[in-house]
Amino acid sequence: MLINIKGLNDSLVFVFGRGTFQEYYDFLQSKFTSNKRLFAGSQVVFKGEGLRLLSRDEISHLQKLCLDNGMILNNFTLHKSRQNPSNDTIIYRNIRSGQKVRSEGSIVVWGNVHESAEVSAARDIIVLGRLEGIAHAGCYGETQSIVFALNLNPGQIRIADKISRSPGTSITNDSAPEIAYLDEDNICIKEYDARDIYSGILNPK
Amino acid sequence: MEKNSEGQVIVVTSGKGGVGKTTTVANVSSALARLGYKVVVMDLDIGLKKLDLVLGLENRVIYDIVQVIEGECTLKQALVKDKRFPHLFMLPAAQTRNKDEITPEQVKQLCKQLQEEFEYVFIDCPAGIEQGFRNAIAAANSAIVVTNPEVSAVRDADRIIGMLESNNFKDIKLVINRLQNDMVEAGDMLSINDLTEHLCIDLLGVVPEDKNVVISTNRGEPIILNEKADASPAFNNIARRITGEEVEFLTFEDPSFWHKLKRSLFPGR
Repeated sequence: MLINIKGLNDSLVFVFGRGTFQEYYDFLQSKFTSNKRLFAGSQVVFKGEGLRLLSRDEISHLQKLCLDNGMILNNFTLHKSRQNPSNDTIIYRNIRSGQKVRSEGSIVVWGNVHESAEVSAARDIIVLGRLEGIAHAGCYGETQSIVFALNLNPGQIRIADKISRSPGTSITNDSAPEIAYLDEDNICIKEYDARDIYSGILNPK
Repeated sequence: MEKNSEGQVIVVTSGKGGVGKTTTVANVSSALARLGYKVVVMDLDIGLKKLDLVLGLENRVIYDIVQVIEGECTLKQALVKDKRFPHLFMLPAAQTRNKDEITPEQVKQLCKQLQEEFEYVFIDCPAGIEQGFRNAIAAANSAIVVTNPEVSAVRDADRIIGMLESNNFKDIKLVINRLQNDMVEAGDMLSINDLTEHLCIDLLGVVPEDKNVVISTNRGEPIILNEKADASPAFNNIARRITGEEVEFLTFEDPSFWHKLKRSLFPGR
């Protein structure tokens, strides 16, 4: 799909797939003209890996096209993820009960995240150990963030503004690393598979 | 834990109350003193002191730590000598004062003086993570975290270890107190393995549940004086490990008659 248009949290999310600027432009223009009523007045967020291949100028042209069709730009996530790709955090210790760690990018923990410890990140959380505490990925609203742990058994997982808590009975799956991601409005957990890179769960930002 | 030319300051802490900090301090320090090391124990549970009671030195307390800090008496005057172990001294806490009447800086200064004379300075830390805890860890260069095999104690221990780590403690060791092997075998109690795996720190010793501890505490006699008690060798081993000696961990398999009989009758089990 060239541009996937989804409704999310009262705004429209345009997920850019692979394509050129001209293809995007023509695609959007045809969409807007064919369905003026739907787009006028809605908030719009740009997303997706296709954006990385565009220049700032080209993006602003697309944004202008939206503005001209009566849309409101709501693109805080775009700026966040494009700002500075090196604000990721790497931690070499266990995060223990009562401790809090926050990253403005993704976070990698070489150790465990113990019960009642908190880890939050603007993007992904990767725990190379046990995750038993609270993990909040995409804490600024990045819905494509994921939580990964070698042993995923958290008290609570949040991705963007969605919360899911542990079912109470601990489902210990010692054998395989797992990954938590947002599928529409639900937080899903599945065994990690390197092929996820192609399935759309992992979104390189 | 290595011996320095300057004395080592060890804080014994737990977060949760009632897990056996004071019992551990009293017995490990007595055991070290019996091995011939010069040891001083410092009770920092100001307002709720117990160490003097457990060591049976209550009647001999004249001055306390707050009076030393306020300059009412000298450090030497306040130290109480244990008659049973000539190398063991205690610096008592004040019962009528509060934990916020002394500062971490003052504790540091006191420890500096004590370090010159003693090989081991033990600090009995109060429960909690407030001022009393901050005072207790200020001067220490290593820590012993005492926990019981139950989830509430383990969570507090985890919190405490985190706080010690953020205060740059490198030498943190675990003592598991009141382990009941029959319950572990029945799956009703956390095992040694569960605890060390969860807390991710090295084990210094395991003390089994022992009713004799209550008796000896009430009498004011350290349990290590009772050679028949189960807890006695455990505390002795902890003391020896602190000196750097490698001591094998005790196994707590029940060597009762029926057990042995069962094993000889049904060797497969």
